[in-house]
Order: sequence, then C-alpha cells, then structure tokens
Amino acid sequence: MNWTPAALSQDIPSGSAAPGQLGDKDIVIWRSASGRIAAWSDRCPHRGMRLSHGFVRGEFLSCIYHGWRYGDGGQCHRIPAHPELTPPEAIKVPVFAVVESGGIVWVAEKDAEPADLPMEFAGFASFRTIRTTVPASIVAAAFGCTGLELRGTLGGTDVVLLLQPLTDGCNLHVLAADGTGPDQLDRVSVAVEALRRQAESVQEFAA
Amino acid sequence: MNGGAMRDQWYPVAIAAQLPQKGRDSLLLGEPIHIATDETGGARVTDGAGRILPIISRYGHIWTSLGQPEQDLFPIPEADQPGRRLVDVGSVKVRCSPLRAVENFLDIAHFPFVHTDILGSEPHTEVERYEVEIRDDVDEVWATKVKFYQPQAAKSAQGGITTEYMYRVPSPTCSILYKTSPPRPGEWDVITLFVQPLTEETCEVWPWMALFDDDSSMTDMIHFQQMIFVQDRSILENQIPALLPLDPGKEIPTRADMTSIAYRRWLKRHGYTYGAQLVAA
Ligand SMILES: [Fe+2]
Repeated sequence: MNWTPAALSQDIPSGSAAPGQLGDKDIVIWRSASGRIAAWSDRCPHRGMRLSHGFVRGEFLSCIYHGWRYGDGGQCHRIPAHPELTPPEAIKVPVFAVVESGGIVWVAEKDAEPADLPMEFAGFASFRTIRTTVPASIVAAAFGCTGLELRGTLGGTDVVLLLQPLTDGCNLHVLAADGTGPDQLDRVSVAVEALRRQAESVQEFAA
Repeated sequence: MNGGAMRDQWYPVAIAAQLPQKGRDSLLLGEPIHIATDETGGARVTDGAGRILPIISRYGHIWTSLGQPEQDLFPIPEADQPGRRLVDVGSVKVRCSPLRAVENFLDIAHFPFVHTDILGSEPHTEVERYEVEIRDDVDEVWATKVKFYQPQAAKSAQGGITTEYMYRVPSPTCSILYKTSPPRPGEWDVITLFVQPLTEETCEVWPWMALFDDDSSMTDMIHFQQMIFVQDRSILENQIPALLPLDPGKEIPTRADMTSIAYRRWLKRHGYTYGAQLVAA
C-alpha cells in the first residue's frame, strides 16, 4: 500500500484535532502542543465517541465525552472518573503510521507502511484542500487526466492535485508552484472550485 | 412486526397539552403512525393500516403501543405530589439509537466534559462508588447513592453543590432521575427521559420534569433542560457504532459505568434489542 495524503499540515495546527479517512477507516489527525502529528482510529474505546471531537492538552488527546486521555502510541493515561487509577495497558486507541513531507500529512496502515518515504513535489507548496462527493476518477477525467497525482495548470498557475479517495467522494489536495502570489492563488481557488463543479455536473449527468 | 419484546411497551408520541390539530405523521419502531385530535379533543393514534392504537395520557404525554402491553405504564408517584411544577420540555430528534439516548442519561461521568460548568467541572471529575441493582420485584434497574459535584445543578441552584442522584429504568426506553432539590433539601426533583424509538438509529426524546422550583419561569426551566440535551446530542450523534453494543468486548466500561452495565444486562435478559448490536461487528 502507498502513503495516502490525508490532510495538509497547515490545516492541523498545534493543539488541534480533525477527522480524516484512510481507505474506509475513519481516523483522527491531531497535533500536540509541541507540534507532533499523529493519526489514530477516530473512536474512543470506552463508549465509541469520535476522538476528532476531542481536545488536545500538551502531548495528549482527550475524548470529549468522558475526558479519557490518550498519549504516545494511543495509550490511555488517565480516566478522570477514577483519578487514582492507572489505566490498564490494554486500553489503547489503534494508531496509524504518519509522516509529514512537503506540507502534507501522509498516512498508512501501521506495520504495513511503504518502505519509501512519500513522494516529494519539488517546486510546489501545499495550498488548500477541497472536498467533493464525486469519485476521484471523475475529478481526474474533468482535469483531463487519470490517476491520483495530477499535474497541470489551474487559473494560469502550475499545480499538482493529489486526489484522496473517500468512502463518499474524494479530497483534492492542491499544491501550487512555489512563489505563487496571493492574487494568483485566488485564481487557483476559483479554478479548483470550477473544476469541482464541473466534475459534480458530470456525475449528475451520469446519474 | 418490528421491535420483538419491545413491541408490547408503551412509548411517548406527543405532549398531551399540545396535540397536533391537523394531525402529524411519525414513526414507532420503524412503522408509520399518525397522531391526531379526535372530535372530543382527545388524542387518537393510528398505525399505518388505520388501526386505532391503545393510548394512555399520563406524565404530560400521550403514550401508545403497537403491541399488547400486559402492564399499565410504570408508576411515578411524585407526579401527583402537591407543590411540584410539571414541565413539558418538548422534544428533540436525535440521530442515535433510542437505547444510546437512555444510556447517556444514566451517565454522570460525562458532566464535566459535555455539560461543562453547569452539571460538572474539572477538576471535580471523580465518580465515587454507588449502588446498582436490578430490582426483581418491580423489574427495574436502580442506581442509588450517586453523588457528584455540580457548579449549577439546576435552574434554581446558586453556586456549586454536591448533588445526590438516584436513577431508575422502568422500561427499555425510559429513565427517571431523582436529584437533590436545591430549594428543598430532603426532597427529590424528578427529571425523566422518555424516548420514542423512531427507528433503530433515530429517536425522539421527550424529557419531562416534576420540580420544586417556585421562582424560575417555565420558559427558563424548559430552556435549561433543552440546552443540556442539545449538548448531549452532539455526543449521541457521533458514537460508533450507532447501535448500542450489548455484547462485552466492543466497548470498555469502568466502575463509573455500573448503571450502564446493569442496563445493558437487563436489556439483553429481556430481549429488548431494538436499537442494540448483539454480535460484535
Ligand atoms: Fe448529558
């Protein structure tokens, strides 16, 4: 299996958590106060609550339901209802392999992560992610390509589009050529929204 | 025929004082029902085939059943006690299992995190040991001697107090909570959660209260309880799986969850499994 681009680094600031997907699995991507990124199963083992609704304090992610606190390796460190208790080692959130490179958060199944680091896109910087309900193949076709790593121009700027298939559509992670100014980036935004609408109309037409 | 053993239970479907004049369609255990006002101004509930269903008007609500209830609706003696104000809170539709909605109501450990600075606050997170039993004579789940520190326990509360609770589950989708009455120590305020199972993964929640509170306006008391429940909804719609797992292994309870453990065991024993997940998926 390859690395999956699951989010842009800039969208997961320190002290925050956000929902994501790896294949058909729901994951939480979060960053500790010191800047460490992690990708875990998006489910607290206690009562099944989504951890992406939780809160980050220091190097820990806590579930919003009962405040169960998890750290390195998904290990539970604290159960607030029983402050004196050391949680058993078995209370653990399944974790995923994660690396950041080129402003992208890449995720893979733990212990099945590719030997090679994710591809780097020299000369490009991460710009923004937009989500659509259209499958990746239709988005790629609307861009005149196939595959999940697309190169071309949007709004007159050279871009790389990384498509991340989701259970109900796909994410478009947009990388723009280094040095692209704010006005040009605005045009990239307009063009990528237009691409999404075009793909969505193709899908509606097909349906 | 949906619902299995839960088919013969009574379920709330409307507020008795707010009957729909033009009729209203709803669901019960996944089957269509219609709630209407009859010629005399009373309630009439029919199923999808037009059959008139049995009804009871009690505790502010109209109750009905798709099956043949062997028993009367469970008693709440406090409902008739003088001096209490009876509050029809209204309804909140939630995309969750009706059983998950009840289980959340039985849980105090979430107060500091979900109802922050109202029903609980850090660092007062500890849940002390309390007592839980399934009372065979009445066939109800009871939790007693439940204590929790609360910054603002009720609309009538001034500042933080340690509140004592009792919980009671007299039917699979109804729970009654007794809590220390801030203006009347020695008496219990009664707060109920009556749940109408629409489907296995959606429900209509009808909270109802019988309180000692002479000062707060009805609107304030209703808003307070609705605010609490809207906070709960943000949890209930984000639990995985949506169904309540009854088999051990899928979730990890602790001592603070003793009421929920007893509730799940009681549901399983009776085959009350509409909204439950039985085989670990
Ligand atoms: Fe709650």
